[in-house]
Amino acid sequence: MIPALFGFSIYWDLPVLLVVVSLVYAATRHDRWDKILREGFGWGVRIALFLSAIGLGLYLISTYI
Amino acid sequence: MPLTSSPAPTEHMGLPLPTSPAAQAPAPAAVASKAVAEEELPPLPLDLVAGLLSYLIPGLGQVYQGRIGKGLLFFGGLYLLFFYGMWMGQWQNVWLPDATDLPDVEIVGQRLPGMAKAFSYRPQFLGQMWIGTAAWPALAQYAYFDKDRKVLPVFGAFQRTPTEDELNALQRDGNKRWDLGWVYTVIAGVLNLLVIYDAVAGPMFREPQPGLRKRGGEDATW
Repeated sequence: MIPALFGFSIYWDLPVLLVVVSLVYAATRHDRWDKILREGFGWGVRIALFLSAIGLGLYLISTYI
Repeated sequence: MPLTSSPAPTEHMGLPLPTSPAAQAPAPAAVASKAVAEEELPPLPLDLVAGLLSYLIPGLGQVYQGRIGKGLLFFGGLYLLFFYGMWMGQWQNVWLPDATDLPDVEIVGQRLPGMAKAFSYRPQFLGQMWIGTAAWPALAQYAYFDKDRKVLPVFGAFQRTPTEDELNALQRDGNKRWDLGWVYTVIAGVLNLLVIYDAVAGPMFREPQPGLRKRGGEDATW
């Protein structure tokens, strides 16, 4: 899994999705930039944790089962 | 011996005592400021023109309303996501197929006509089309599709339905990026629905912001 992450991988495409979805969604809920950035950061962290948990689960399944 | 007032007990035998209604009620100042804030935010009239503009180009409706920064964020973010997804799919993952030669599709006993049938063969375009004008070449390719002509005069082969051989090659050699690419374009289109809603009805949490374009004869209170 680790070498795959550092090689040519679709995982490198994910930050674009994560940043744009977080900021755009937050900006549809607020107009003030401080609130947009704060909520966007929160969504980014939550999405990243969610994707990481799924990735870890799939890695464990493919490796040990 | 002078009498001194002792603080009211807050618990009895380890259990909390119920507090008086006066203690539970919010401070009068907080109530007053909340009431004033609600008075300052009357319902917004729906801005359909801004919604249409944000459909055509993401963020254009917000720019029209004076919310320049947000408009540019929507424009840059959604076009980045949409065209990045197209690039991942080697610019061949946004199209609406000509379905005249394809088998009929029935839903609840009804045979789908024309464009509805085309959408049933490419449901991804139902999400992609909300990006607005950036997906219009696919509609032009659908409207003027000609099997014998490889390109259109203006758009060339941009957003033209790939041949079956091209599709097989893309999925075989694309290292999963072709499939991930169309997901990005669909997400960009669907996110623009939220942007259109923001242009029409305002953000979910509104706050007074003086200096914005007046709407319906009232100061804008986004």
